[in-house]
Amino acid sequence: MWTLARKILLHDRIKFTVAAAGVSISVMLVLVQIGLYLGFMQNASNLIDHSTADVWVTGEGSENFDFSAPIDERAFYKVASTAGVARAERMLLGFGQFRLADGGTQGVQVIGLDPGARLLRPWHVVAGDVRRLGEPGAIVTDITEAPKLKVHRVGERREIFGARAEVVALTSGIRSFTTSPFVWTDLDSARAYTLYPADRFNFVMVEAAPGVSPEALARRLSALPNLDAYTTPQMSGRAQHYWSARTGVGAGFFTTAALGIIVGLVVVGQILYNGTLEHLKEYGTLKAMGARNSAILRVIVYQALISALVGFVLGGGLALLAQHAMVAANLTVKLTPALVVGTAILTAVMCCAAALLSVVKVLRLDPASVFKG
Amino acid sequence: MPTTSPIPSPIASPIASLAGVTKIYGDGDTQVTALADADLSVYPGEILLIEGPSGSGKTTLISILGLLMRPTRGDVFIRGERVSALRERDLPPIRAGAFGFVFQGFNLFPALTAQENVAIAIKMKHPRARNADAEARRLLAAVGLANRMHHKPADLSGGQKQRVAIARALAGDPAIIVGDEPTAALDTKTALDVMALMRSLASEHGRAVVVVTHDPRLERFADRVARVEDGRVIAVDTISHPHAA
Repeated sequence: MWTLARKILLHDRIKFTVAAAGVSISVMLVLVQIGLYLGFMQNASNLIDHSTADVWVTGEGSENFDFSAPIDERAFYKVASTAGVARAERMLLGFGQFRLADGGTQGVQVIGLDPGARLLRPWHVVAGDVRRLGEPGAIVTDITEAPKLKVHRVGERREIFGARAEVVALTSGIRSFTTSPFVWTDLDSARAYTLYPADRFNFVMVEAAPGVSPEALARRLSALPNLDAYTTPQMSGRAQHYWSARTGVGAGFFTTAALGIIVGLVVVGQILYNGTLEHLKEYGTLKAMGARNSAILRVIVYQALISALVGFVLGGGLALLAQHAMVAANLTVKLTPALVVGTAILTAVMCCAAALLSVVKVLRLDPASVFKG
Repeated sequence: MPTTSPIPSPIASPIASLAGVTKIYGDGDTQVTALADADLSVYPGEILLIEGPSGSGKTTLISILGLLMRPTRGDVFIRGERVSALRERDLPPIRAGAFGFVFQGFNLFPALTAQENVAIAIKMKHPRARNADAEARRLLAAVGLANRMHHKPADLSGGQKQRVAIARALAGDPAIIVGDEPTAALDTKTALDVMALMRSLASEHGRAVVVVTHDPRLERFADRVARVEDGRVIAVDTISHPHAA
């Protein structure tokens, strides 16, 4: 039956090409849009997800990780002295103006860490020595941001808000959600680069003592005045949720993905329905001769699944091309196995749903109609 | 030369029969009686022509006979079993075992070869059939198309297409072949060839062949002719063939 379904479907190659193109575009839109969304969400919680902290403490009411309210040294000591805290490290996350080699400026997102920080360090280091990060004015930038920062090698010197900075290491692929390149440095330099007051920073990263659950510790730390505390997964989720839900970014991506599905549904549905109408006499003849509806419906569903398979393969290929092309634009299309498998299932369901009109037509087909000329 | 008699003296029990069948379309002022009190039996090994002017009720008659349409009144029997009272979902297996259909327009899938057109009918009638392709080849060989099995309908002549349709109608070895103007789209020689094939299906394999036609030339192949006018079976004539004596 597969062979027969395929032959009937492929008989009119132009129509099949249109159907396959419709599914391909649909698949590509879903993969690229959701892949971009996942890429952005990955960037939104990149720092949190790569930390080994159990709990993150921030100023009370801070909803956005990237624009978190400053807290002061007293908060740090309260946290560090709370029972169940094995280690506490400060982190500053603020914005600065990076002076480019050609005299222009580029906004950057500065990450300031305690000297000897262990709970969060630059990763994917491709050049230089990240251990020098504790030196005054030492910075680490990302090689993929070279087009923006014009920094291509270790040892290059720049200024951030007029303060001296020397590149001591380069990472690869660490990007921010805000599209401002990350600049890693020590806490004091970060304050100079962001014009933060001397005792201010944004987060305390906490390592729980052995046997202390992060959830219980987060509750305990949240009880401290003017502070909120979250486990690392909670903090990651909050960072993603803010950008996804509060800014409409998620709705934008998913609306485009949904439009892709609608395009696929309409195109495949129309092609399959036309194909069914064209073969109505043949299907009627088979029904007249005793073929059950289920047997004919199987042919139609097989045709839908063949359209889905071809469209998915082509659309997946287009998505890979788009992923490759978007690297140049510094955009991450994150095609996870779950996304690929989910899209494959969605494509099959979409094509089968598109076949529903045809199914209804066949179910209602009166076998006696074959005698009507 | 036809002779008129109410019902021919059969040599066997009928495979299918209609008893007092009436079909009324619509209701109230728009009510139309397409068939009224029709009695008709079909016997194994015979060719029964159904003749009559357009709109006389021929199509309704074979639709009810082929279990494609329910009568408003009256009964339909297949191999002695009253099937007109069965539920709709019980009819496909009976149709699959009892009927094959041949149409003026062939109704072949243009994308499929002759063999595939026959095989799909076998598979749809009997989804678990394992030897559908071999059976399709055997049936096509039986209708004289052994060398055209892999041709698509577009590459076949009208007569060859109708032979494919006949082979498809034979899928599942039905007892009755129903033809709706099967020769109307064919030239005279091809039409006579097709009817000769139908004749052999009836004579050599004991099938009943029921053919709706306007073409009086086909009577030479028939055993009986049922004449339908204004929704009534006005006569069933037995055809005497001098050469058959």
